[in-house]
Amino acid sequence: MIHLKFKKGIQVLFVALLILTVSAFSTDRVVNDRDEDATDASGVPATGTYAQILKAAGDMPVYGHWQSFTTENGLPANKAYCVRIDGDRVLVGTSGGLAVYEDGKWKTYTTKDGLGHNAVLAIDVSQLTGDVWLGTLGGLTRWSGGSFYTFTQLNSGMPNDVIYSVACDGKDVWVATGGGAGHYDTYKDQWEIYMERNAPMHEPWTYGVCAGDGKIWIAAWGGGIIEFNKKTKKFRDYTDPDEQMELDVFPDDGVVHDITTGVSYADGILWVATYFGVNWYDGAHWKTFFDKDSGLLSNFNNFNRAVGPVVYYCTDKGLSTFNGKTWVCYQRNEDKPGGNVLITNGPKLTDGVKTTKYAVPTSLSHNFVIGVDANDKEVWIATSHGVSHGERIK
Amino acid sequence: MKKVIRSFFIFLLLSISAFSFGQEKKHNYGNTPDDMVPYGRFQEAYINFFDTPQPFTGAGREKPEPTDLKEVRIGFLGPLDSTALVPQGKMMLKGCELAIEQANKEGGYKGIPFKLMVHNDFGLWGAAANKVVEMYDEHVWAFLGSIDDINTHVALRATLKMEIPMVNSGDPDPTLCETRIPWMIHVISDDRQSCYALAEYIYKVKKLKRVAVMRVDSRYGRVGVKEFREAARRIDHPIVLEIRFLDGDTVFTKQIQRIKDVNPDAVLLWGNAEETALIVNQLRAAGVDVPIFGSDRMVNPTFLKIAGKNAEGIVTTCQYDPSADNPKLEKFKKEFYDRFGEEPDVFAAHAYDGMNIIIAAIRKAGLNRYKIRDVLTDLKTFQGYEGVTGKIIFDDAWNDIGSIYMAKIHDGNFIFFPSPLDTLTSNK
Repeated sequence: MIHLKFKKGIQVLFVALLILTVSAFSTDRVVNDRDEDATDASGVPATGTYAQILKAAGDMPVYGHWQSFTTENGLPANKAYCVRIDGDRVLVGTSGGLAVYEDGKWKTYTTKDGLGHNAVLAIDVSQLTGDVWLGTLGGLTRWSGGSFYTFTQLNSGMPNDVIYSVACDGKDVWVATGGGAGHYDTYKDQWEIYMERNAPMHEPWTYGVCAGDGKIWIAAWGGGIIEFNKKTKKFRDYTDPDEQMELDVFPDDGVVHDITTGVSYADGILWVATYFGVNWYDGAHWKTFFDKDSGLLSNFNNFNRAVGPVVYYCTDKGLSTFNGKTWVCYQRNEDKPGGNVLITNGPKLTDGVKTTKYAVPTSLSHNFVIGVDANDKEVWIATSHGVSHGERIK
Repeated sequence: MKKVIRSFFIFLLLSISAFSFGQEKKHNYGNTPDDMVPYGRFQEAYINFFDTPQPFTGAGREKPEPTDLKEVRIGFLGPLDSTALVPQGKMMLKGCELAIEQANKEGGYKGIPFKLMVHNDFGLWGAAANKVVEMYDEHVWAFLGSIDDINTHVALRATLKMEIPMVNSGDPDPTLCETRIPWMIHVISDDRQSCYALAEYIYKVKKLKRVAVMRVDSRYGRVGVKEFREAARRIDHPIVLEIRFLDGDTVFTKQIQRIKDVNPDAVLLWGNAEETALIVNQLRAAGVDVPIFGSDRMVNPTFLKIAGKNAEGIVTTCQYDPSADNPKLEKFKKEFYDRFGEEPDVFAAHAYDGMNIIIAAIRKAGLNRYKIRDVLTDLKTFQGYEGVTGKIIFDDAWNDIGSIYMAKIHDGNFIFFPSPLDTLTSNK
């Protein structure tokens, strides 16, 4: 008994010593007390705080003055799946319908107005026509000229009624569904379906889709990333090189995992989201980022969207943004108002690269982020509990 | 100064030894035997994904319990019509119905009866996703399903969006839990366990070396044999042939000729009962008299009936021991027979356990899907659950890594015995 107590005592002492030692040497996640204190009585950071954040962020956009919306101020449901900025208005897909924010007011559209289902999982807006395409749990709804029309398995050639992702590409609309990827040619009014029988997918399930560089990119659940070349009509796939579900042998060798949840292409870079980490692909080289070796807030990523050189990763622990060089992440406090901006001054945590945390008075409505959209002035995020708007700080 | 340095080193040694002797051996993910760990002989993984459970950090636990319910709905998704898996689906449904009926006799949920919302999983064009939407619209608190690999995956993915707790009792696809969706638990040993058990038995117990694999050309066959193929390679006995057949095939002449051409020490079959029984008959008729091994779905009366004497000596895996000296199992078998007039099978027994776990989780957590999920996945409430199928042990991915059994056909009956994996792991 004495021996056991002694051993336990040593263990406790050792752990305490270890924590002290690591804390003393680590430069990661340093809380900047001066910033924490630099909050005035109205909750607005004192002059200089955002200047410090902007300086640390370098080329990366920084968002602040967060404003959140829930059912208490206009949303039809607190659970928001997706968000899309469409000119002066913002479209939000919630579990209770489509919410449109315009002129400071919310307006809701539901199945009574013609939606396929009140749960709206994905939104895209056609740059060609201005039509809004809504992926719902009950089909693909087109909102055009003020009226809604829903494509389903039964009334069209669409692969499945559960639409996880939608992407407009000129006259074409692509969807990722529970039964394969679908391509709708709006000029010909024709559907094409891609699944494991006519594309290099291991399975028919797809989860994300985007367009870019003459290609369509599909996040195939269990099949990595599928690339479709619109010119040659040929497919190729990118899968996890180690072929193992439970581990990643080497980082930077390809798609981190075959279970992919999101894909977004911009500025020549393909960004991939998974529940196991994220990827960057420039057409020749892959890079992998985990929460343990970079500024990424969590390996569990619900969605991603790239706008210009910046990608926005929707994690279960907040919003991570990244441009290949610097991470800027946003996380609300769980126990008090406000939150933190975390800046990592390098792609990966190596010697000389550290994460600095800046306390800010406003933050996201919830850290479980499901959807995002941004432009050069603002960012909107859909979360598990409400929608948040962040203003770009300049 | 020297004294200080000496003291520091003594302290360091003491600390290290205190930790070393106090630690239990950590098992490999999925009970993988040491020599079958992926890349284990060459490279330590940069990251292992399932060392800790994936939390669900989303909102929802704050939602109040409804007060005006007349029934507490639980979903069922299984093949009941228009698929080859209807017999298994019907057994699964009966296991659920029995559990629900018994729970209602015990007062349901605070006096409100449970109601099973039954959905047919016919599997075309991702229909399982649409069925989960129906269950979402019906406001089920959790659901059990399904059997077919593809349909179960489709349902699982929809589950994450709709945030409905899911219990799977009939699909041994190991990749279900490996999607990292923190809304599903697996209460049946998966094909990872089956494959390692077969690899241990074939290569180490029976000391066979050249195995030919003949499997159904479906996800059940493809994913099912994956871990066996890889385990065989890792222990330096790569399989000599992997050849496929289709569900519904009745003639296997070409495949059998190819098997004869490679002259194997043994044949491993992976498929449904009817086709594998026909293959066994045609293998023997063609003069292939090497030992035959098989997958869990061959533990079926149909297999015995069709294969007859040719089935003698065949060894398969099975996710539980139906002949176990387990009072709970005996009671279940009697009650099942009294209710339905037939013996339960592996799908009925596991569904009964799975549905009882759902009922217990609802009773503990209350009517809130997020709290029900929390109870199902806390690795405490149901860890070591003693069901009619034996002890359920969850790993950090919520896979059931409890015991898997071997079944040997002797005198026209399945004789069950522990798998060699049991001797390799100490958590059973």
